[in-house]
Amino acid sequence: MLSRDVDHKKRDILFFSLPYLTVYVAFMVFPVVYGLYLSFFDWNILSTKVFIGLKNYVEAFRDPEFLSSFSHTLQFVLISTPLIIVVGFIMAMIAVRPTKTGKIAETVFFLPYMLSTSVVGTLWAWIFQKNYGLANQVLTSVGLSPVGWLTDPAVAMTSIIIATLWWTAGFNMILFSAGMKQIPEEIYDAAKIDGAGSFTTLTKITIPLLKETSLLVLVLQVIASFKVFGQVYVMTGGGPYGTTRVLVQYVYKTGFSYFRLGYASAMSIILFVVILLVSVIQLFRKSDNTQ
Amino acid sequence: MKKPLAILGELFIALLTVLWIMPLVWLVVTSLKSENTVMSSTLSFVFAPTLENYRKAFASTLLGRWMLNSLAVAVITTILTVLIDSTMAYVLARIPFRGRNALFLFILAGMMIPFEVLIIQLYLECTTLGLANTLVAVILPRLALPIGVFILTQFFKAIPSVLEEAAFIDGASRFTVFRTIILPLSKSAIFAVAIIAFINAWNDFLWPLVAISSSEKYTITVGIANFQGTHGTEYSLIMAGAVLASIPQIIMYLLFKKNIVKSIAMTGIKE
Repeated sequence: MLSRDVDHKKRDILFFSLPYLTVYVAFMVFPVVYGLYLSFFDWNILSTKVFIGLKNYVEAFRDPEFLSSFSHTLQFVLISTPLIIVVGFIMAMIAVRPTKTGKIAETVFFLPYMLSTSVVGTLWAWIFQKNYGLANQVLTSVGLSPVGWLTDPAVAMTSIIIATLWWTAGFNMILFSAGMKQIPEEIYDAAKIDGAGSFTTLTKITIPLLKETSLLVLVLQVIASFKVFGQVYVMTGGGPYGTTRVLVQYVYKTGFSYFRLGYASAMSIILFVVILLVSVIQLFRKSDNTQ
Repeated sequence: MKKPLAILGELFIALLTVLWIMPLVWLVVTSLKSENTVMSSTLSFVFAPTLENYRKAFASTLLGRWMLNSLAVAVITTILTVLIDSTMAYVLARIPFRGRNALFLFILAGMMIPFEVLIIQLYLECTTLGLANTLVAVILPRLALPIGVFILTQFFKAIPSVLEEAAFIDGASRFTVFRTIILPLSKSAIFAVAIIAFINAWNDFLWPLVAISSSEKYTITVGIANFQGTHGTEYSLIMAGAVLASIPQIIMYLLFKKNIVKSIAMTGIKE
């Protein structure tokens, strides 16, 4: 290369990468390491840090509140994931149609995803409001009895899942329809000539050819669901009786209401490991394909 | 004549579309109702609309201030993110050196770090740095966007190096080449990163909730969530606030629908 190029290479590399690396290390890498470090200490801001080894982790798995938060999160993941994926898939099948209704539907399906968590949360808290909310007004107008959408412990999590479905299904639609558009038209034409019906086409062509996309959607959806917080915080605050309290919320509460920072860090690390395991599945799949 | 099955399909599409738009209609309708009309248990879409709630939202709450805060946070975050992500990507795509692949992996690893697990540590860190309860604290941790570096690196790599070499021969510095050749050729990728950064910043909720303690510094997302507590039963006012809080994203969506959809399809980022 050129001489001037060599002269300033080191300087340029530093100059160009230092801003990003500073922010990245300071606010992403360091917090991970610091969190791991803190998780081995008993510390509540005012007291001095006391090293307690793995005791925070041991406590977490004996703490009924942590365990219930974990199980609520898992419940949310297990119910919402298939639901949001299937609805997103159906939406994608509608959106890829080259008709005007397809275009309108696509716009409408994706619109909620643009809204922020707190707007979605307040909107659905109002829709599910017991006396005047839209949901119960519709129910009573057709002669059914109103439901305690956010106040009945047996229903509250379902209500949160409905709101989340409405909010994020459009995201999966985008990924699915991007995948569907890559399937060559000729394959469908050939199937038509062979006399395949639309159901056969769906199960024998579309779904198998979307295996890669589906895996991506699945992993992203599971990760996003494990991190659920905002809509729960706004809609129920974790209630009624803690039946919708999720992991991130319990970490938040332990850290900023109980000030047990070491313990909160340990729980963050546990959540991190769970999410990491899910992302690693995808990485392995990727490397399988490149071979 | 259409087959009955096709008609049934059209009907299903129409139904699903209506179902999906309904909550938004309800949002806008509620925001235009007077407090008394809202508190009646009849399904009324016929009523005398009023802008009173919008006036009240600006007059008697800090909503205007929160929107300005959010706008400042989102715009600054977007500009800085694009700036530092693109210079970083330039190094990774265009300047060969030993350890570059390792550095690339080190940065990509950031995509696996969920922001939600960092809040306790970030709070402590920002407090130590004297940034507690400032908008700077809201911005800083959001600047490093690994997916942005990834998108830009891939894009820069695809730009033919002939153009660059010609400029180097003419005596241009790397900075000049970056500014006058690489950036102008990468508008679409930069735009994608900017959209991701802006939407992330505007919609961010958990971190501003943790970082900010005084209400005049809230971002709009935290402010709207806080409405629930302070104006608990004034639903028409809350919905007016929610409509206002959503206007920037709705405008962005209508203007840049294609780009937004493309950047999601391209990266699969999900907050």
